[in-house]
Amino acid sequence: MTAAPEAARPPAGPESAPGGESTGRESTGAPREVSLSIEGMTCAACAVRIEKKLNKLDEVRATVNYATAIARVTAPAAMPVAALVAAVERAGYTACPTATLDEGPEALSGHEGPGQQATPGEQDDPAARHAAYLRRRLVVALIFFIPLTDLSLMLSLVPSLRFPGWQWLLVACTAPVALWCAWPFHRAALKNARHGTSSMDTLVSLGVIAACGWSVYAMFVLDRGSQDGSLWERLIHDSGGGIYLETAATVTTFLLAGRVYEARARRIASQAMRDLAAAAAKEVSLLGPDGTERLVPASVLRPGMRFVVRPGETIAADGEVEFGRTAIDRSAMTGESVPGEAGEGDPVMGGTIVLTGRIVVRAEKTGADTQLARLIRLVEDAQAEKAAIQRIADRISGVFVPAVLACAAATLAGWLLAGSPASPAFSAGLAVLIIACPCALGLATPAALVAASGRGAANGIFVKGYQALESSRSVDVVVLDKTGTVTTGEMSLAGVCPADGVSRAELLRRAGAVEQASEHAVAAAITAAALVEAATTEAGPLPRAEGFKALPGLGARGTVDGREVLVGRERLLIEHGLTVPADLARQCRAWEQAGRTAVLAGWDGAARGAIAVADTVKPSAAPSVAELRALGLRPVLLTGDNEPTARAVAAVVGIDEVIAGTLPADKAAVITRLRADGHRVAMVGDGVNDGPALAAADLGLALGSGTDVAISAADMILLRDDLRTVPDAIGLARAAFRTIRRNLAWAFGYNVAAIPLAALGLLNPIIASAAMTLSSLFVVASSLRLQRYPLQAASQHQEESTNARLYPRQGQLPQAAAPCRRPGPRPAADDRRRQILHRHPHPGRRGHQGTAGGRPRPARRAPGPLRRRGDGRRRRHREREGQGSRRGDRAPRPVLKHEPATGKLPSKGMQ
Amino acid sequence: MTTTSYKVTGMSCEHCVSAVTSELRGLDGVSAVTVELVPDGVSLVTVTSAHPLTDDAVSAALDEAGDYRVGGA
Repeated sequence: MTAAPEAARPPAGPESAPGGESTGRESTGAPREVSLSIEGMTCAACAVRIEKKLNKLDEVRATVNYATAIARVTAPAAMPVAALVAAVERAGYTACPTATLDEGPEALSGHEGPGQQATPGEQDDPAARHAAYLRRRLVVALIFFIPLTDLSLMLSLVPSLRFPGWQWLLVACTAPVALWCAWPFHRAALKNARHGTSSMDTLVSLGVIAACGWSVYAMFVLDRGSQDGSLWERLIHDSGGGIYLETAATVTTFLLAGRVYEARARRIASQAMRDLAAAAAKEVSLLGPDGTERLVPASVLRPGMRFVVRPGETIAADGEVEFGRTAIDRSAMTGESVPGEAGEGDPVMGGTIVLTGRIVVRAEKTGADTQLARLIRLVEDAQAEKAAIQRIADRISGVFVPAVLACAAATLAGWLLAGSPASPAFSAGLAVLIIACPCALGLATPAALVAASGRGAANGIFVKGYQALESSRSVDVVVLDKTGTVTTGEMSLAGVCPADGVSRAELLRRAGAVEQASEHAVAAAITAAALVEAATTEAGPLPRAEGFKALPGLGARGTVDGREVLVGRERLLIEHGLTVPADLARQCRAWEQAGRTAVLAGWDGAARGAIAVADTVKPSAAPSVAELRALGLRPVLLTGDNEPTARAVAAVVGIDEVIAGTLPADKAAVITRLRADGHRVAMVGDGVNDGPALAAADLGLALGSGTDVAISAADMILLRDDLRTVPDAIGLARAAFRTIRRNLAWAFGYNVAAIPLAALGLLNPIIASAAMTLSSLFVVASSLRLQRYPLQAASQHQEESTNARLYPRQGQLPQAAAPCRRPGPRPAADDRRRQILHRHPHPGRRGHQGTAGGRPRPARRAPGPLRRRGDGRRRRHREREGQGSRRGDRAPRPVLKHEPATGKLPSKGMQ
Repeated sequence: MTTTSYKVTGMSCEHCVSAVTSELRGLDGVSAVTVELVPDGVSLVTVTSAHPLTDDAVSAALDEAGDYRVGGA
């Protein structure tokens, strides 16, 4: 498996492919592949720098992905990993070898270094490690928080309670919190200080240090034993003896809690990326020259090799069909819902799914050269290019910190100028610093994010992170992908034109009888229509077609009621010697121009009627477009289909602007162009082909029924097919961002209000505590209001919202959605269809290609309880799948699938 | 002593600043480097050196530091 990740991104050129086809590397032995997980990168430029440093080493080829924080290095076997790590460290970052995408024990065999001791799950995920790092600190902070706060306040205000050595007890309680727990803030502040900048961390660090420093001074130097004077007197004036250790502890604890929340969200997002990459570990059934099949990892596949693909399996590489004929589901790659046909000599794409027959494919492009790998790379590039948005809290801190420092200095100067002795002057200056650090600051963003996530999650809207909230604010154009987003991606009857002397019912009945036996999406649409027709005309069940035979080109033949009926394209009928009346042919062309798929049905030597099917527009599409307009957004339809089809759909849903005929790889370019025109673009899509566009957009929204690539590329994930969740999601994100801003106003407001008190020397621990607590309370309360944010789609889904599966926990992102594409009217055929038309066939079911299904994958670190919950949901989903149909939007499509087995995912370059 | 300013593109964060600074410092005769960072725009890099630097040397140093280029308006 070691080769898996590298095949996804071979360092450079085809000659460096894993396994090394002896391209002048004989001297150093076989090169090997190492994955380094990099920490400390802050922008895409960092990745480039590390890449350069690594490539400078002899015979080392490296690519660094900023988004996943992974460097993939091809190095001579003789070069120790430590040398690579050292090179990265020289560039100013840290690295540790990882078995990221590898599962086998052999993955680690080539690695040495510190990372080896870590468990695979921790090791491969800096985000997870970071979350654990913060969590440990938070736990310690919490342990000390309560006793420290109580003791500090009590001993500060009631000196009579002070006992011998009380200072030391407090110091012992404070030291771990202020030093160890707050270390992340100190470290970041230090780093910023070196660059002469300041951020939220600076403020926190300053506040903690000032509070502790002052308190220690007050405890040891100013402790005047049991003083005279009442408690009240001391409260009013005695900031000189005040002990603010509890302020330090509160600030540290609250901010850590906020950071832990955020880190968790980040970890989940990065997990989605990793799962995608893990899918690369696939196997392929190689066909030897002697006709034997051999199961090998897909990474071994080279151009020219032949491999077998069976129904339900994903094609592992771009190539040409050598033998066999099948329908191919290309929806993952192209978004096209109508399966295509492929026979001998036809090209097939890696990542597409074989539906009906066994084929032998000769690989032409493998690994990173496949179109799928290229698309995934586009996603990564787009993600890397999108500069991380500086959080608003940091932006404010950038101004606030210098202002506070100036304020503290002015206080000190003011007191001294007023002729005060140094001690109170100093204490007032420090008090300004202590009170300036709002502990609600750390909660402002996470609290709003968590509340919005909770509100969204109950309605199938997942917010991946802070960035989505901030981007939603300025979005003005919404680009909607057509197939699978605005339309259902399912075919339905769009027109019937019987020839003279044939009734509509007869035409549908005969055509339906033949098509009933076919797997095709077009056939299913015709069958469904025929069944409806039969039911309304009370003509009884459809007759059985004898001697059914599927014909290439959307065709089928069968004997119905003793007559041989042929259904298919015009050319097929003519080839079989049937005459096609001119008016039918004309009708077909008219339909095709309007973007529908037309087939003819004929018997007794002539075509007897034409039937058109078309992709169904979602019922929710038109209202959601109207809502998007109401939000002040400009909807644009983007599709790879031709202009007439796109126009037809756009007209139905009320979109004026159409960008049609866009190749999958160009969709991102369209977004980039829109952005270059000064627009802020949100993209809604579901296919692999939408991935780059989703990543390139300011705000990417993936439909949960979509592919994993799309999901990993997006900023928000909509689990429901109901398009009204799009305006809902944008509205919710905007509301959340407004909340964040309001939160920050509260957080800063309270503490700013206390600054004059501090400057006048009137600060005491009660005021400090109250300011901190009140601002935190306000922040939390204002965030909770998001829980009541009205969602349009929610009201439509009352009955479903009682379903456990629609209450996915915040933090559970869909690893793969299970698109149950056609809940048709025939249960038996339905089951079969699901097995076959499934975009992500269950990898274990066929026990062949998706090897990940057969092997436990230890690397996943999702919390146990959540995992079990997800399993339950999957089970329920399975049960539901067996049940009959649901209508359009309510189809049980958007279901989370929590399977570590990711063989079904479009793989990173393995195809 | 000469002081020259360069317009450098490709810098986006403090990491970039430190990388560019350290590479330029490494050039012969350079005594001081200051950077006015314009994230994702044109940053102004000012180099003080004992003798004038060739453009090639500066470009090479920037390239060494990462994907940065002299140029821009």
